[in-house]
Amino acid sequence: MTEIIQVLVLGLLLGGVYALMASGLTLLFGVMRIVNLAHAAFIIVAAYIAFYAFDLFQIDPLISVLITMPVMFVLGLAVYLPLFPRIESSARYTEMTVLMTFGLALVMEGLLGFFFTGIFRSTRPPYATDAILWADLFIPTGQLLATGVSALLLIGLWLFLRYTRTGTAVRATMQNRTSAQIVGVNVRRISAISFGLGMALAGASGSLLSYLFPFFPAQHWRWVALLLALIVLGGLGSLKGAVIGAVSLAVASAFVTNQLGPDWSPMTFYLALFIILLVRPQGLFGKALRI
Amino acid sequence: MTDMASDVTPSVSDDTGGRPGTVSRRVLLLVVLAIVLLLPLAPFAAYNYVLQLATVALMWVALASSWNIIGGYASYISLGHNVFFGIGGYTSGLALVYLGFSPFLTALVAGLVALVFGLFVGLITLRAKGPTFIVATIAMLFVVGLLFDNWELVGASSGMSLPLPPFSVDVVKVPFYYAMAASAVGAIFLSHRVAHSKFGLGLRALSQDETKAEVAGINTRWYKVIAVALSAFFIGTAGATWGYSLSYLRPTIFFTIGVAAQMVLSAIIGGRATVAGPVVGALLIVGINEFAIVQFGATELNIVVTGVILLAVLLFFPLGIVGSLREAGRLPAFLDWD
Repeated sequence: MTEIIQVLVLGLLLGGVYALMASGLTLLFGVMRIVNLAHAAFIIVAAYIAFYAFDLFQIDPLISVLITMPVMFVLGLAVYLPLFPRIESSARYTEMTVLMTFGLALVMEGLLGFFFTGIFRSTRPPYATDAILWADLFIPTGQLLATGVSALLLIGLWLFLRYTRTGTAVRATMQNRTSAQIVGVNVRRISAISFGLGMALAGASGSLLSYLFPFFPAQHWRWVALLLALIVLGGLGSLKGAVIGAVSLAVASAFVTNQLGPDWSPMTFYLALFIILLVRPQGLFGKALRI
Repeated sequence: MTDMASDVTPSVSDDTGGRPGTVSRRVLLLVVLAIVLLLPLAPFAAYNYVLQLATVALMWVALASSWNIIGGYASYISLGHNVFFGIGGYTSGLALVYLGFSPFLTALVAGLVALVFGLFVGLITLRAKGPTFIVATIAMLFVVGLLFDNWELVGASSGMSLPLPPFSVDVVKVPFYYAMAASAVGAIFLSHRVAHSKFGLGLRALSQDETKAEVAGINTRWYKVIAVALSAFFIGTAGATWGYSLSYLRPTIFFTIGVAAQMVLSAIIGGRATVAGPVVGALLIVGINEFAIVQFGATELNIVVTGVILLAVLLFFPLGIVGSLREAGRLPAFLDWD
């Protein structure tokens, strides 16, 4: 029994971070119908920023969230503005975004590999290897803090979307782009802001990832495959779905790791994806996609 | 059906219709085939290098032309098609190591296994459309990669060695060249047959509007599944040949997304949904890669080049070389294979 609770706790602790990583991805799809294959590459970029901030200036990765978020917001705008508005009128827009972000991911992977080599990196803040023992349960401090930060940021995102004018405009654009435009939302501006916001979330994820999982440039494919699988599970574009998908799959994969070893844990995500495709292709919380 | 056909693809014409240039195209086709067949007889300075490069080029022709059947005609972008490449390579590799059959013979079996596997995964992944389908193909790639990474019989992630081919070093590249040429010619022929069949017409129709195609009586689901299966065949045979020519098999050779990237890029830069496009694109990309490696060495920047080319093509001429030229009415006859 204790073992089951233990695995459950470990899964839940990772789930928060997965949810944060996936939130940006699903936001981009929700607002702009962009399937961002480069999302994890951006997360890895942020992880390198956090790594060098820690290595050179001893900035704690939890603090470097304050650096990676604005930096990635700006980088996001710098990527979005020259590329995506150009293809807005393309007949196969979503497909174009996939191919475009595929190209973008290749570019970033190559640049990261060129500048930072393929060596495994990770930041080593003191709490990364600490753990709390509480009533027979082993709770890794680093993961607890990461999930805490993730939860705070997700709550912040929810408050922003719920209670600010810009947030309302973002939600309106998610629901119906054309109608949003009719009622006076500047969808271009909202799209750019949302892209930046998605990248800022990727930035925060990168800071957390930098001490949770050793990383190297080419690893982003594995991450983006996991994240895409879980946002499809939750329903593309649904934030609630992304969070629930992330937490449930993190727990499921913790059990798989416990039973079969860590090699098989990514399998949980892909199998869940295939099962959902067979049972409910639009995802748990998604509307049937019209293309 | 006929109304729909003329509505959707006005450019498709019957290839036996006695169009001007048909005779010269036949001649050209024979010349190209003759060059491909006779290349190994020419005494090159760097014989093995040239033959190896030609083999690689033919491999990408086979891969890109096959991918085009589902990714071009049906416009269902798959980023996991290199799964069939690996399935082919491992099928023939296993047959060689455990049963002693030469991959040159079992390549066809490898193609069939890839085809059957294509049917199977097609039935699952094609439950989804658009972006979800793309995600499903990536997941498929990772699932299969993970299975091979952990499958002890094939040496798991460290891979397995194959016995060396029983040929002298001077001519060892020749059989691989011909085997790859067979895959490439087969893939182009298949692509051409599909483009000119009612089946291909159905694929083009559903790529435009799936609901309308369905209403017109096309069983879109099976059309797509069969398109995936057909596209898997020559990718499988090419994989069988490629694995044997390397004389070892490792998951990272086949199941990395970079392989899919080059397939997709070749087809797109040449022109999706055209017969000649993927061929032109594959040759161009192999040329660019070879140039980059000779000039700058094999660095991470090669991936950057691939990515930048993809972005540039998408932004500035999304129809690809053949597609853009046709759109402008300037497609030279020798590239008009449709």
